[in-house]
Amino acid sequence: MGLMSESAPGAVAATTRRSRRRSLRRDAFAYALIAPAAFVMLAVHVAPTLGGVYMAFLELNLFTFSRLFHAPFAGLDNFRDLLFNVDNPVRSGLWNATRNTALYTAYTLTATLVLAMGIALLLAREFRGARVLRTLMLAPWVVPSFVVAILWQFMWQSDAGIVNKVLVDYTHLVDERPVWLLGPNSLWAIVIPAIWRGLPFVILVFLAGLQAIPRQLYEAASIDGATAWQSFRYVTLPLLRPLIAIQVLFGFIYSVYQFALPYVMLGTNPGPYADLLMTLIVRQSFGNTLFGYGAAISTLLMLVMFVWVAVWYRTFRRDLVAAR
Amino acid sequence: MSAVAVSAPRRPIRRRLSSVGLTLLAYLVVAALLAPIVWLVIASMQSRLELATGEYDLLNATVEPYRTMWGAVDFGRYFKNSLIICSVATLLATSFAASAGYALSRFRFRGSGFFGVSVIGTQLIPGSIFLLPMFLGFVWFNQNVGLQLFDSYKGMILVYTAFFTPVSIYLMQAYFAAIPRELEEAALVDGCTRLGAFVRVVLPNAAPGIVATAVYAFLFAWDELLFASNLTQEHAETIPIGIRNFIGNYNENYDQLMAAGVVSTVPVMVAFFATQRWLVRGLTSGAVKE
Repeated sequence: MGLMSESAPGAVAATTRRSRRRSLRRDAFAYALIAPAAFVMLAVHVAPTLGGVYMAFLELNLFTFSRLFHAPFAGLDNFRDLLFNVDNPVRSGLWNATRNTALYTAYTLTATLVLAMGIALLLAREFRGARVLRTLMLAPWVVPSFVVAILWQFMWQSDAGIVNKVLVDYTHLVDERPVWLLGPNSLWAIVIPAIWRGLPFVILVFLAGLQAIPRQLYEAASIDGATAWQSFRYVTLPLLRPLIAIQVLFGFIYSVYQFALPYVMLGTNPGPYADLLMTLIVRQSFGNTLFGYGAAISTLLMLVMFVWVAVWYRTFRRDLVAAR
Repeated sequence: MSAVAVSAPRRPIRRRLSSVGLTLLAYLVVAALLAPIVWLVIASMQSRLELATGEYDLLNATVEPYRTMWGAVDFGRYFKNSLIICSVATLLATSFAASAGYALSRFRFRGSGFFGVSVIGTQLIPGSIFLLPMFLGFVWFNQNVGLQLFDSYKGMILVYTAFFTPVSIYLMQAYFAAIPRELEEAALVDGCTRLGAFVRVVLPNAAPGIVATAVYAFLFAWDELLFASNLTQEHAETIPIGIRNFIGNYNENYDQLMAAGVVSTVPVMVAFFATQRWLVRGLTSGAVKE
């Protein structure tokens, strides 16, 4: 802008016209590049989601299902029923699933980040075989979640499962055989495999971050007399914050929307301790034909996620700018 | 100062000991991470009775489950469906994402900010909210356009292409951002068109990023369960549906189930380890400034 105001008025008009034409051409190229991606996202994400949000305001259940989008309009009734109607059985299930999902997400995310940081520090050192270990450790991430679910379901078996064999028969760490797939332990039965499968990718990202930190920073810190902990706390951690921020964002979304693990391991109704929001929504929608409720819960969940991203953005804004 | 001088001669030994300890710990941790996978393979080679009673006989391996699992459910068909649907969807998603990611990393155009935010925004939508409308849309298309999308390769490919395009855009954009602009500027000066510069100069340089993105998308497509279970019936069912049917029909056949688990992991493992050199670089280029 400043540059333009110094030239003659006629020249300004000519250059803006020319640059506008050029920018139009360039814009057309850019639009052509994003067109296929924009099309599939509109067709699969945006349009059906609008339909889904609309369903949240319909009385859509077993009796009205055949009328679909022409089902009676219910206003906010679904939301009121879900949040405040004490007689509604879905309401107590919803609170339950919300608590389980919150616990599942908190446990999985925290443990994954902390363990991944520790393991990344271990693997960032140079030693014989380090490169092989850095590749091999990625294997759990490649195992599909439905295989993770059947594998761990088998390992959690009370009598024949390897977990109890190790804990009770081989090491005698525990006296009585724990029941993993029922009752309070069933939350751990999905949390632990989730951490196991989620760890490698976060380790990979942290490792890349660690290896990019210039060695001189640590040398300077140790000349200043910093202990190992101090150089981690004041050199490593601040430099890895942008990476941690991204992992927190996607780890949170991925955990809250977890479905396959409880569904394959524990069935359509994973029970009061392991029922997550996604298993609840799918069961109430497709199992009990309560599509109105299902859509309403999904809508609320989506709003919560928007709030979460806003909070996340406020917390890590500075790190994201620093990373650019 | 004096304290340092006193402890100096002792330090190397202590240091070397703790270094050996840390190396050992690293090996132990990775062994622990791999243990469940090893167990999956071992369990898949035990007899049904051994698995049911927990009387494992690790020395007495059998490949019988690998032979019989194909007959228990129609696993070969699920396998073929998964391969076709996931490969085509990955190919499409990666190409769409490469071009869109390039546009986002190089041009500021009207709506580019909005598009960039929408890409991440799609990840916030719970699948449960658009699954039923998606199904209804498929039915509508069949009735009004005569295009069979429900329970067909076409439908599943459309869904998976859309699912894994956003995250692929995110990865590709980060990778393009790390490629110096001077490359295309030189090509433009040499008389290349913008499209020519993108296709002939930028894309070859982004090969590791493209491979990484494709494998990443393939891993996630291979994993998808919710939509596959509601949008397919008998023609386009994928492996996770096969595994679920397995559990439903033969709950006690753990030997075959474990064998099926191994077989459905092999393709992604192979894809992963064959490309891991590019994969690591491609996936972390966005995370780390070079």
